[in-house]
Amino acid sequence: MGLSGRELPTLPAGGGHASFFTTRLDALINWSRLNSLWPMPFGTACCAIEMMAAAASKYDTARFGMERQAFSPRQADVLICAGRVPYKMAPVLRRIWDQMPQPKWCVSMGACASSGGVFDVYSMVQGIDTIIPVDVYVPGCPPRPEGLIYGLLMIQEKIRGESITRADFHRAEDPARTGRPNLSPEVIEEVTVPFGNSTRQNRVSGMVPSHALLRPRDRKP
Amino acid sequence: MADKDLNEGLRDLESGPRTSETAGEGPRGEAADAASHPTVAAMRAKFGDAVRHHTVVAGDEHVVYIAPERVRDILGWLKDDPAQDYAFLMDVTAVDYGGGRPLEVVYQMWSLTHKRQLRLKATLPLSALEIDSAVPLYNSANWLEREVYDLFGIRFRGHPDLRRIMMPENYAEGHPLRKDFPLRGRFSRAEQTRRAMEMELEDYYIPTELATAGMRATGEHASADAAGPSTPGGMRRPNDPDNWALGTEGGAEGGASSPEGVE
Amino acid sequence: MSSTTTRGTRTVEYLVTRTPQMGVDGRPTSVPVMPLGVEPEMHGEHMLINIGPQHPATHGVLRLVLELDGETVVRCIPHIGYLHSSFEKLGEYRDWNQIVPLTDRMDYLAPLIYNCAYAMAVEKMMGIEVTERCKVVRVILMEMDRIFSHLLWIGTTAIDIGAFTVFLYAFQERERIYDLHEALTGARITTSSTRIGGMMADLPDGWTDALRHFINTFPKTLDEIETLLTHNNLWIGRNQNIGVISAEDAINYGLTGPNLRASGVAYDVRKDRPYYDYDTYEFDVPVGEHGDNYDRYLCRMEEMRQSLRILQQALDRLPGGPINVDDPRVILPGKTDVMSDMESMIHHFKLVMEGVKAPVGESWFSVESSKGELGMYVVSDGGSKPVRWRVRGPSFVNISALPKMVEGQLLADVIAVNASLDIVLGEIDR
Repeated sequence: MGLSGRELPTLPAGGGHASFFTTRLDALINWSRLNSLWPMPFGTACCAIEMMAAAASKYDTARFGMERQAFSPRQADVLICAGRVPYKMAPVLRRIWDQMPQPKWCVSMGACASSGGVFDVYSMVQGIDTIIPVDVYVPGCPPRPEGLIYGLLMIQEKIRGESITRADFHRAEDPARTGRPNLSPEVIEEVTVPFGNSTRQNRVSGMVPSHALLRPRDRKP
Repeated sequence: MADKDLNEGLRDLESGPRTSETAGEGPRGEAADAASHPTVAAMRAKFGDAVRHHTVVAGDEHVVYIAPERVRDILGWLKDDPAQDYAFLMDVTAVDYGGGRPLEVVYQMWSLTHKRQLRLKATLPLSALEIDSAVPLYNSANWLEREVYDLFGIRFRGHPDLRRIMMPENYAEGHPLRKDFPLRGRFSRAEQTRRAMEMELEDYYIPTELATAGMRATGEHASADAAGPSTPGGMRRPNDPDNWALGTEGGAEGGASSPEGVE
Repeated sequence: MSSTTTRGTRTVEYLVTRTPQMGVDGRPTSVPVMPLGVEPEMHGEHMLINIGPQHPATHGVLRLVLELDGETVVRCIPHIGYLHSSFEKLGEYRDWNQIVPLTDRMDYLAPLIYNCAYAMAVEKMMGIEVTERCKVVRVILMEMDRIFSHLLWIGTTAIDIGAFTVFLYAFQERERIYDLHEALTGARITTSSTRIGGMMADLPDGWTDALRHFINTFPKTLDEIETLLTHNNLWIGRNQNIGVISAEDAINYGLTGPNLRASGVAYDVRKDRPYYDYDTYEFDVPVGEHGDNYDRYLCRMEEMRQSLRILQQALDRLPGGPINVDDPRVILPGKTDVMSDMESMIHHFKLVMEGVKAPVGESWFSVESSKGELGMYVVSDGGSKPVRWRVRGPSFVNISALPKMVEGQLLADVIAVNASLDIVLGEIDR
C-alpha cells in the first residue's frame, strides 16, 4: 500500500475472468484511450512555460494524441499540474480534479508540484499528492519538454496495463472524498517533513548558528 | 544533548529566526548634507522637525526619515509642489529588523520632470503599527499598501479597501514577513491543508461581490448595509451535493437568478 | 440620452448609458445601451462572473471577479495571491548568492533580467563595480531576454485573440533563445547565471556567433508576425480603442514599461537613469499616444527591433578580459587553484559555507525589465543574508490598474486588455 489514496490493483479472487475476448477488448479500449489523451493544463508557474513549449512545434505533444489542450476539466483526461501550488490554490486544484470525469490521470510536473520544490515555506503545498492522487511525477525545475513527454508516455504505459477484468478498472473515487485532501493528516505530516536543503533554512542574517529541526509531531496540532 | 538542541530548536522555531545584533534601533547612516538633494533642502525648510534624518546610502541614494504623522502632508507636497513633482510612487514596502525593533515603512519616489529619486522612511513602533494611507494621492499605493498590511500587519488609515492580498482571507497564522513568523508557518502542514480545503464562500468573495450576487455575507463578514437575501444557516458550500436540491429557495442558491423573460 | 429604433411594428427605446467609444472611421465601435420599458425585469440586474484562477486566458493564476451589466463590465476586482511563494521571506534565509536561483522563478519569462537586476542591486549596495566585459555581457543577456519575454507575450496575446499561428512562430523563435540559455547556463528557463561580482561562467565558444545568427534571422519572423497582425482588420478591431488609459492615470496608477509608454509618457529607465553605459548605445524607445491595446502592441513589437539594435552594438563592442571582478571577498578562486593550493581551498570553503558578507547598507535599484520598472530593494545588516529583500515587480502595479482600464468595456475585451498588460504572475504574487 503506497501513499496514494487508491488501493493497488488486485485481481478478483479466483484469478479473474480474463479471456481472449477481454484481452482484445482491453487492447482496443486502452489503445484508444492512450492515443487520445486530452491534457488539462493546470499551469501555474515556470513549468507551465515548459509545458507550453512541449505543446509548441519543436516538441509537439500533438503527435501523441494530445492535439487539444482541454481547458475545461469536463473534457479532459490528464491533469498536468505544472508549477507550484500554494495553499490558496489548493482548493481550486481539488475542485478541478473533482470536475474531471473518469477515467482521469494526473501528472505532477516539476519539483514544486511533486514535493514543494525549492519552496518549503508557509504558503506552499508540499506536493500536490496531498491534495489529489498523482499517477506520474516528473522531476525537474523545470523538467525539459522531453521530460514532460516522457512522463506522458509513462501515463500511456500505465493505461496500456489496465484491464476491464480488474476491480479498479472504473477507477472509482469515493464521492464522500470530494473536496477533501487526498491524504490523511498523519500521512501529510510524514510526507511534508523538510528534507535536503530545506533543513538548512533555519538561520537568518547575522550568522546565528542553527539548531535541530523540529520534528512533525512536536509542532502545534 | 540532542534533546537540549531540540528544545532550543523548538524555542527558535516558535519565536522565529534570531536577528543579528548589528541592526540599529533608529535611523542608520551618517547624516548627509541636506543641500546635496534639492528636495531634502526644501523639505527641511518646509517641514522642519518632521524631517528627522537624512542620509545617503549606496553611493547616491538619498533616504529621508520622516515623522509618520506627517506622511500624508509630506507626500502631498512632494506630489503637488511643481519644484518637486514626484509624480511616481514607485514602491511602498516595510522592513522588519526583528528583535522588537520598530518597523520602517519605505516609500520610493521618482520625479519624471526633474529626474530625481527619493526614499522616505517612516519608523513605526510595534505597539502602534498605523500610518496614513497614500491612496488619496497615488493610486499605485492601493495594492502596495494592501501587501504591506497583509505581510507586516501595518494598518493604513484611510485606505479604501484594506484587506489581505497575497494570503487567503481566512489566514489565521499572522503576518508572514515579520521576523517573529517562522518560515514554514505556525501551524502544521496538515492543519494548513485542512484550513485551505475548508474555505467558505466568504473566503472567496468579498462582501461587495456577494452583494452584487444578491447574497449577504453572514457571520464575521457581515456588513449592515449589504443588500440581498441572506441564506439561512450562513453560506453553504456550493460544491456540496447536499445543496443541489432543485426548486428550493429561489434567491438563495447562487444569487443572481436569471430573469424570467430571457428565453 | 435616449434614441429609438423601429423594428417591424415594435418600437424599442434604448438608453445610452455612457459615451460610446469611437472607432477610427468615426463610427461608434461599442455603444453601451440598456433597453427601456420592454422587459422591465431584464435590465438593472448585474451578474457576478468569476474568471479564474485556473483559466487559459488569464496568463497565469489570476482571478478576476467581474460585475457585468449584460456584456458590459461595470466593475472588475482582481484577486491575486494564488501563486504566493514567499520569495521575500525565503530570501531572508539564504546567502546573497543563493538568492539568484530564486530570482529566476519570479519572472520566468525573462529570467536573466531578474538575475542581472538582483546582482546589480547587491553590487551597488556593496560598492562593487563589475568588469567591462561583465557589463556588456549583462546588457546582451538582458536585451536577449527582453526579446524572449516579448515573444511569449505576442504568442499568448495572439492566441487569446484567436491567432494561433503567431503562437507557434513565437515559440519557434523562443526555442532558439532557449538554446542560447542552455549553452550559457545549462538550463533553459531557470538560468541563475549571475553571481555577486560577475557571472557564473563566461560566454562559451561560439555563443556570440549563434547570437549573431539569431539577430540576423529573427527580423524575418518578426516581419511575418507583423504581416499577420499589424494591419489585420480583426486585430485592429479587437485592439484599437480598447483598454484606454490616459497618461495622468497611467502615472498615478504606477504603470511602467510599454504600458506607460503606450499612453504617451516617455519614461524608460534605460534612458532616464542609465546603467551599464546604456547612454552610449544608440537605440530608440517607442512611445505611443492612445494608450490602448494596439499602441501597447506596437510599442512592444518596436521594442523587439530596438533590442536587436542594442544587441548588435553590444556584440560589436564586447571587450575581452575577465568576466568576474577581482575581489576575493566575493569571487570564488579558480578551480585549479582550489584543487592544488590550501589557501584557495580555504577561501573557497569560507565563501561557500559562510556566504559572501555584505556591509551594512541598503539599495533600491531598478532596471527596465520587459514588463516595466523592476525594482530590487536589498537591506543588509552586515551579515551574509539580507535583512530584507524586496522586489518591486512591475506586473504587480500594472495589474492594479486593470479595473480602471476595463470599466465600460465588454467581457471579451477584458481578456484582451489583460493580455496586453503583459503580466507574469510569478512577480505579481512573489
